[in-house]
Parts: sequence; structure tokens; C-alpha cells
Amino acid sequence: MKPYISIALKNIYNNKGRTIVTILLSSLSTAILVFITAFMDGEHKIMLKNAVELYPGYIQITNKDFRDNPSFDNLIENSTSLVEKVKENDNVSSTSQRFETFVLFSSDTKSVGAMIVGIEPENEKINSKLEQSLLKGKYLENKDKNFLYIGNELAKKLKIKVGDTISFVGTGADYSFCADNLIIKGIFQTGLFEFDSTSSFVNKKYFDEVFVSENLSTHIIIKPKDIDNAQFLSDEISKILPKELDSQSWKEFMKTLVEAMELDGIFGYITVGIFFIVIFFVILIYTLLSVYSRIKEIGILRAIGTKKREIFSMLLFESVVLSFISILIGGIIGAFLAYYFNINPIELGAEFEEQFKQYGLASTALPTDFNVFNILRDMLIMFILCVGSTLYPIVKVNSFKPVEAINHV
Amino acid sequence: MYKLIIKSAFASLMKRKVRTFLVIFMIASSLWGLLLMQGIYDGMTQQMINNAIRSDSSQLSIFAKNFRSQKDISLYIKSSKQIEEFLINEPNVKSFISRIVTSGLVATAKYSKNTSIYGIDVKDETTHASLDGYIKQGEFNFGKKNRGAIIGFQLAKKLKVGIGKKIILSAQNIDNQVASISLKVTGIIKTNNMALDEGGIFINKERAKIFLGLKSVNQISIMLNDYSKVDMLKAKLKTTFNDIEVFDWGELYPALLQTEQIMKSFSYISYIIVFFTATIGIFGVVLVSVLERLREFGVLRAIGTKFKIIVAMVFFESFFIGIVGLFLGSLIGGGTLYYFSLYGLDLSNFSDALDEFGMDAITYAVIKLEYFITAFIAVFSATFLSILVPLRVLKKSKPIEVING
Repeated sequence: MKPYISIALKNIYNNKGRTIVTILLSSLSTAILVFITAFMDGEHKIMLKNAVELYPGYIQITNKDFRDNPSFDNLIENSTSLVEKVKENDNVSSTSQRFETFVLFSSDTKSVGAMIVGIEPENEKINSKLEQSLLKGKYLENKDKNFLYIGNELAKKLKIKVGDTISFVGTGADYSFCADNLIIKGIFQTGLFEFDSTSSFVNKKYFDEVFVSENLSTHIIIKPKDIDNAQFLSDEISKILPKELDSQSWKEFMKTLVEAMELDGIFGYITVGIFFIVIFFVILIYTLLSVYSRIKEIGILRAIGTKKREIFSMLLFESVVLSFISILIGGIIGAFLAYYFNINPIELGAEFEEQFKQYGLASTALPTDFNVFNILRDMLIMFILCVGSTLYPIVKVNSFKPVEAINHV
Repeated sequence: MYKLIIKSAFASLMKRKVRTFLVIFMIASSLWGLLLMQGIYDGMTQQMINNAIRSDSSQLSIFAKNFRSQKDISLYIKSSKQIEEFLINEPNVKSFISRIVTSGLVATAKYSKNTSIYGIDVKDETTHASLDGYIKQGEFNFGKKNRGAIIGFQLAKKLKVGIGKKIILSAQNIDNQVASISLKVTGIIKTNNMALDEGGIFINKERAKIFLGLKSVNQISIMLNDYSKVDMLKAKLKTTFNDIEVFDWGELYPALLQTEQIMKSFSYISYIIVFFTATIGIFGVVLVSVLERLREFGVLRAIGTKFKIIVAMVFFESFFIGIVGLFLGSLIGGGTLYYFSLYGLDLSNFSDALDEFGMDAITYAVIKLEYFITAFIAVFSATFLSILVPLRVLKKSKPIEVING
């Protein structure tokens, strides 16, 4: 072992105050960084996952002009045969056709405008959370006729309950006038006020008869076998679509939500950054104190012929060892927390509910994101920060001449 | 005597310039970060709250009993005349407006969507909370014949309508019949109040009354001279009129109130974590500085200097660093906040995401006196805590031993 290495190790051992403070602070900040990253990523992932799986789905096929102009001029034609074609792709797990439109519902006492969607009840069980959101009554079935599955808030507005009959008026796919009576089969509650107060669903088979929309859809929803693969699959599907149609993954059609999560992440890191400024200074101060307390010793080492480079290596080695131990301890603690709360999600409690709903999240349980790559990245960042904060004192003490150092008071 | 204390402490600080400046920088930079965070986050929440207050809830809103839960047009405020008279004579009321609120369906030739319809008086709304300031396109009026409509910008986008385009509004009237009117879009509004931007349509109040067959209004909203006395007015209104419900903005927008509270505790927690760490930094410096001068202090005590004076020296030393750091941090932090309060923090790159959550693209920072008070308390506590152990070490040391040692 080179002599300066053994001196460095001795210094670490003898200078306990500095060693403890440095290791404590650096490992704590590493643990915090690893955990906060896991928490924020987990929060964003679950928010996006919930928002995507609730109703929009991972991949949507629509007419290219439908998003800008959701009129009946921009529908998916021959949607059934198109679905068959899409299913030929091995990465497709399931599909579901939808026809969305707005109608005016009238109960005995109230009239309210709302969205009505013709859905394939069985397929929709896999592609959305509609069935799981059932509150009262029953979910729809593929053989259902004029049965309505309606949001709880909308039901409240219309003052109706399961078993009641309401009527609607709307426009058919051929722009004809259409109206019928519907029996309330089930009431659902997703927890998202906006959705629960504006949405209702009927079996598409029945819907097609009334709205003259057979073999027509506004959306085809696709669930990929591997959800992380949605963008790739969406691009693949785009290739086999007729030119007037378009396939988009959730990352495209929910761009604003993805962006909002990014923005939230930026603010989160800025906040953590402020904490790191202080940590940086504290480690810097402690290294400075430790190095200065040994300035005479360093002066003597220099006087007996130790080179500047060797002193530098010795002090840097101390800092590297301390930083490495710290990030290892911190990384393990952080990773453990990230893993633990990944399996046992953090329950934030009812007081956060309103805020969560604002972000389209119906549940307040947050699993952290356990991602080895992120953990290693954060550990590396902390390592650079810890070693970096010791550079100034090391360079500064090395700039003294041996005699100056020995005589330093 | 004090001169000596100050002089000696100052000399000690200057002797170890690098350390002194490092601690000052540490305090200053952490304060800068904390102040900036607090001011910007407060600015963000304040803007969201202001948008909700100005565009919809005001500071206090009156509804007929059960209207909020049932949203039934037949639940209008029966005693609106008396309430208005009462409000005119109430000294804490700055201004008030009345609105007609109901839901309906808006349709163009090719598309229809559910909507919230607000019957308003443009003059009143302008003086009350300057709702006209939110106009994005067109004008804040309903045209000469009052056949115009001002619609939320997201709704306009969805409906693909611009200024001068025709829309059809349908809603249930007081007799439970569906009534429709045709209107021309005269203005497009962006309030950053999501519900309004995505689904709100403002029409002339008198026209709304005829359209819905109403003789009175559903909502009376009030701005106060002194918001701290809101509960008093609320209680007074409730005892004077028994067929109404009164809500302040926090009850109407619980998510915003929650955001405000969470932000507050969040910034206090940040202060505690950051200054706890800073305390460790200051502590190290003070401890070493005391240990290095044990002999000096031993001599002082041996010649009869009271321990109180030595405490004062150490305290002054650490307090001086704290005050300079506080001053510098407050100056830079306050300066940066002042800049952002004038020019704003431009997040237009994320404007779509911000629109989605009802936030403005440019955030103007807020500067409050309480920020600096919190900063002072934090710095003072940190410096105070950091000298406790060094002083104990000093107290335990025996003058003769340290002099000889």
C-alpha cells in the first residue's frame, strides 16, 4: 500500500468528528435523493397509469381530424374489420370500440347535457376501469338493450336511481334526430368529479341501432401486452391503418398530463436542490476544518519531500473513501425505502384527496418507483457532489508553501 | 466592556476569513433558495386562488339552500332583494354581484357539449373583480342587443368557434321544459379557472332570466374590505336570512385551500430541514474556533474575566455570522423575489400543462414580511443551537489545565 493511502486511512480513523458528520450528512442526503426520486417517479407513474387506465386507454385509433373536429364527418369506418386487422399484431392484448357523442338527458324533473358512449361491455372490462368503478346496480353486458350505466354525479343531477327510466335526445351518425328511453342499470363512481358528472355508457350494439352507427366508431382502444411498449406498438399500428386514420399512444394524446408531471418533477428537484446547497457547504466546511487542523502535519510532509501531487492524492483519497462509504450506506437505505414502499404503497390519507382529484387521481395510495438505474444514477450524483465539495479545501491547503504551512497558526 | 467583546469576536472571525465567509455563504445561499421557493410557490397558489375568486366564487358566495348539492334551477335565492339591501348597508362589503347559474348543452352545427351557463351583468363584473381582464379575444360585452355570449377558451377550441360564430344553448327552465336560445360569440375568456375555461358560457343576466323563466338569481358573490372578518359576516348573513347557504372561497374550492395549506407546511418543513443542516455547519465552525482558543479563554478566565463575558464573546461571534448571512440572504433572496414579482417567472414552455391545471404561464412571486421573520427566527435558532455544545466544552475546561496544556 502506498504510504499516503495508509496516512489517509489513519486520518479518517483519527478525525472522528469530521468522519461522522461527513458520513452522516452525505449518507442522509443520498438516502433522501434516492427516496425522493423513487417517490416522485412513483407518484407520476401511478398518476399517469390511473389516468390512462381509467378510461382513455394506452393506444387510441381515431380519424386524423377527429381530435380537432370531433364531428360525425370524422369517424372510423368499417371499424369491425379494422379491429380484426389490428388484432393480428402479436403485441396487442385487447381492443375495444367506442362511439362517443353528447345528448340531452331528461328525467321526470331534470334535463342535463352529457356524454353517452356506445361501448363493448366485455372488452371494456379489460381496457378501462369502468366495471371496477361500479357503485350501485350492475355493469353492462354484451346482450343489453336500452340499459344505461351512468356516473354518480350525473345521476344525482338527474335525480335518478337504479331501475329508473330516463329519456334522451341526440343526433345520429347520419345526422338524423334520435331519441329513446333508457333504464338505469348501474351507477359508477371513479372519484373524478368531471368524469362522474358528464359520462354515461350503453351497449354499443343497442347504440348502433339508435344512432345508426353500425360498423362506425369514434375510437378504437388498444391495450398492448407490454404497457411500456405502447409508443412502439402505436407506431406499428399506424403503418397498417388507412390514411385517414391515426394511431396515438397515451404519451401523445395525454401530452399535457405528461408535461405537467415533468413540471412537477422539475419543481421537486429544485426544492431538493436547495437542501443540497446546504449539504454542499456543510461538507465543505467540515473538510476545511479537518484539513486546516492538519496543516502543520501537511507542511512537515511537504518539507521532508512529499510532492504536492501526493498530498493532493492523499486528501482526495480520504474524501473519495468517505464519500464512497456514505453513498453506499445512503444508497442502500434509500433503495430499501424505495423497495419497501413499492410493495407497501404510502397511504397519504383523506386530507390529500381533493388535491389528488385535481390531478386526475382517484386513490391516495402511492407506490414508490423502484428503479435500479435511477438509484445508481442518484448515488453517482451524490458521489460527485460529496467529492466536489472537498476540492476547494484540498486545493487551498496545497497552495501553502511548506514553511507557511508549518508556521500556520 | 462590550467594545472588547465585539472587538475580540471580530478579530477571531477575521483571523479565519475563509471559514467565516463559508458559513456566511452557506446561510445566505440557503436563505436565498428558501425565500425564492416560498415566494414563487406562494405566488403560484395565490394566482390560482385569485383566478377562482375573481372568476367565480368571490371571497364569499350566497346560494339558496341545497342549490350547491342539487344544482337545481328552481332553487333560486328568494330573498335576493333583501340580501342586496343588507349588503349595501354592511360596512365590510366592498362590492357584490349576482349571477344566474345553471347547466345546459351548447351546440354548434356539428358538435355539442355540456356547459355551465352564467347569467352576468358585464358592468357589475368589471367593477367587482375585473372579470373583463381575462378576455382573450373579442370584447367583454354581449353586443347591442345582448344576444352575445362570452365562452371559455378551451370550450371555444372544442367547439371550434371564434368571434361572431353562432352557438345554440339549451337548458331546462323553471317549468322543467327544455328551452333553447341562439347566441353569437362576442368574447373568448381565459380565466385559468379550469371549470370555466373548459365549460363556461357567460350570457346577459336579463336574457338568462327570460330564457330560464327566473325572476331572481342563484348566486350572490361578495368581496370584502377586510377578509379576516369573513366569519362575522357569514354568521350575520345566516342569522338574518334562513333560506340561504353561505360559503367562503375555501369551501367552494377545497382543493385550492388544501394546496395553500400544504404549501405552507411544506415551506416550514423545508426551513426546519435546511436550517437543521446549517446548524451542523455553524456548530462545527464554532466548536473548532472555541477549541483552538481554549488557552486564550483560559487566560481570560484566570485573570478574572467572568464566564458571562466569554459566553457573550462566543455568542456574538456566531450571531454576527448569522446576522451577516441573514442580511445577505435576505438581500439576494428578496432582490430575486422582487425581480420575479415584477417580471414573473415565465413557464410558457409548459403552458399546455399549466392550462390543464389552471395555472398561469407566468408566475409572479409574492414577497411577504413573514418570510423574513421566519428567516430571522431560523437563523437565530440555528446560531443559538450551534453554540450550546461549544459553550459546555468551555465551561467544563479548567483554566489552569488549559493554560499549562
